[in-house]
Amino acid sequence: MKRIAVFGYSVMSLEAMSRLDREQYSIVFIGKDENEAALVAEKGFATQVIDFRNDEALKSIGIGTDVDTIFCFYPRDFDNVFLTISARAIDKNITIVAIVDDPESAEKLLAAGANKIIDPYEICGRKTHEMLTKPDITNILDNTVFGRHDLNMAQIEIPKGSCLENTKTSDLKLNQKHNLILIGVVDRELGDQLHFAIGEKEHRLDAGDILVVMGPAKEIKAFKKEIEQC
Amino acid sequence: MLTRLIVYLAYFLKTSKRYQRTKLFFYDLLENPAGRLKPYFDIFMICLVMLSVFLLIYEVDHKLGESEVLFERCVISLFIVEYLLRGWLYSDNHKIILEHYEKAEYLNIPFRLGKVAKIIIAKKIKYIFTPLALIDLLAILPTYRPLRVMRVFLLFRLFKLFRYFNSIKVFARVLVSRRFELITLGVFLGFLVFIGSTAIYLFENPANGGQVNNLFEGFYWAIVTVATVGYGDIAPQTTGGRIIAIALMLVGLGVLSFLVSVIVSAFNEEMDELRENSTYAELNRFKDFIIICGFGRVGQHIARQLEKDQLNFVIIDTKEANVSKAKRLGYLVIHEDASKNGVIQNAGINKGATAVICTTGNDVINVYITLTSRHLNPDIRIISRANSQDNVKKLYQAGASNVIQPFEIAGMVVAEYIGQPVAFEAILGIIREESHVIMETLCVHSGSLIDGMSIDGINFEQRKLMLLGIISVNPVHRKHKNSYPIKNQHFYFNPVPNFVLREGDLLVVIGREYAIDHFRDRIEKSRLKNRSQR
Repeated sequence: MKRIAVFGYSVMSLEAMSRLDREQYSIVFIGKDENEAALVAEKGFATQVIDFRNDEALKSIGIGTDVDTIFCFYPRDFDNVFLTISARAIDKNITIVAIVDDPESAEKLLAAGANKIIDPYEICGRKTHEMLTKPDITNILDNTVFGRHDLNMAQIEIPKGSCLENTKTSDLKLNQKHNLILIGVVDRELGDQLHFAIGEKEHRLDAGDILVVMGPAKEIKAFKKEIEQC
Repeated sequence: MLTRLIVYLAYFLKTSKRYQRTKLFFYDLLENPAGRLKPYFDIFMICLVMLSVFLLIYEVDHKLGESEVLFERCVISLFIVEYLLRGWLYSDNHKIILEHYEKAEYLNIPFRLGKVAKIIIAKKIKYIFTPLALIDLLAILPTYRPLRVMRVFLLFRLFKLFRYFNSIKVFARVLVSRRFELITLGVFLGFLVFIGSTAIYLFENPANGGQVNNLFEGFYWAIVTVATVGYGDIAPQTTGGRIIAIALMLVGLGVLSFLVSVIVSAFNEEMDELRENSTYAELNRFKDFIIICGFGRVGQHIARQLEKDQLNFVIIDTKEANVSKAKRLGYLVIHEDASKNGVIQNAGINKGATAVICTTGNDVINVYITLTSRHLNPDIRIISRANSQDNVKKLYQAGASNVIQPFEIAGMVVAEYIGQPVAFEAILGIIREESHVIMETLCVHSGSLIDGMSIDGINFEQRKLMLLGIISVNPVHRKHKNSYPIKNQHFYFNPVPNFVLREGDLLVVIGREYAIDHFRDRIEKSRLKNRSQR
């Protein structure tokens, strides 16, 4: 189970926490005072109150030991930069996701060691643009993949010794057998890049390759199970 | 009897479609600033006026040939027709008649034709005395032979250009807006010239050894001096005359600089409006465009994306800093409050705008703009930004077609990124068209080759396309499973091979851009072919 620490109280942190599957992740919210912690605790999340400027305090919540990912969601960029630098210094392998307010701070955050930068304004701008230019598609994605319906997109890694090893992608026929649509494959022989399953190239699956599929949550689960068991 | 006939005629005009259409056509041609034909007509008239004035100059030392005279006649008849048409458009006689007639009927008092005729004539006389109509009239009259004296008024035709140049109209308006200052200055100048001319005549008349023979020469000298032109043909000889000259020159300088400053400051004040007018004019040329209210961080991103797509858009913002930033980037921008009806109407919400985007950082303002826009145009697409979850419902209530929550979306993105980075990047890549693989919808037109075909028959694999599903409102498809209701449509995910496509269905496909375009072309061609065969 992955452990995620969320820093900073905002609409965004609440949204991100509620979207994460609690069976897969153990989430802890790090507040700067009791008030924040109480507000988040009301929603049923584990909380802790520490001063993020103190390395010892960071270590005490598990950074450097059992925390895999941190979210830096402070509203001010310099807080996020400071937290990123501190966390990176403690743990070289931790995944750090940070938001930026001023686009100029993105570089600083990357330099500080963040893995992924999120600019909420940019995302919102893009989203609006998508709605304008491709309303049908945005509607579908919003209502299915990103939304309430149980239609999901998932990535499935081929485990070692799976019966799918050495299978050709064209032989998978996921849409007939499993009611899933194969969107693409990450063929490790060819690098980390995703190849869309649009009949251009045949891929032979090996352990470690990733299938990106779309379909009802139930079917995805069943398919995952099948791969693991066979 | 006559009264009844006229009332009948008025009713006839009121109901006659053809009459309305004709009047509307001429209104669009002559008066409506947004009329499509008006710019062409204006240019045509400008050329005509210039030509006729050139002809006038040519006439000074040449004899006119027959063709030139004919041309002159044509121009004049056109001017007359235009003048009369404008008079006709100025007021609706039948409406006045009917209004009075119905009032009389209602109050049970006799309907007096004479009274109505007076009102109508008064209206038309009012038209004749509007400045522009007077200029028109003066441009026509001198051609009438017995009035040959008025030949010089032919130059009034040049004033006709006022009608066709917007910038001249603006100049006139600026002058009018400063009429108080200008009149004050004029009165002062009048006094100055009067005192100067009488004083110089008193000091410099030939009896005193001067050159000013009469009061008119004194007046001429005073004007030349005040205007700081000073030809020097008349120069003061006496000490008294010279003192007058010194005083007049100094005051003249002051008056001139005052005049210049009045006009310059008036123009400065009008400058913003002028710029905005040019924005509106440019918007008028667009067939479709998007209105972005609020040029904050989100607005800027949207504008950048739209610019990349080469879509037209206009920005409305109240903040000076945002407006100047938009101007620097070369975007069309209106420095106004978008929540006012007039502003968003002028921006063209009913004239070509396809969507309104409310992206100010303040939900209260977003709700207000949404409400205003929905009220003005019930069919337009409105995408609104909600900064707080509580306001999403209110925005939908106000009439937004879609509501976007920046922080919620960002939170969702983070969650997706952590959970399934590859899948997530894939879908983002598709949506953003970063790779050449895109997601598109293809419409099943009636009569096209895929209308009535089953999924099996299309063979998407061979076309190098991936079919995700089908969006449809057609109830025929309801029997299929895997359907997801989306608003008033249904999305059928992974349709079975025997799913038969119907007219109006939308195929959601993923593939390379050219593969999708090629397939779309095939569909279009087959549709056109089938239609022409029919």
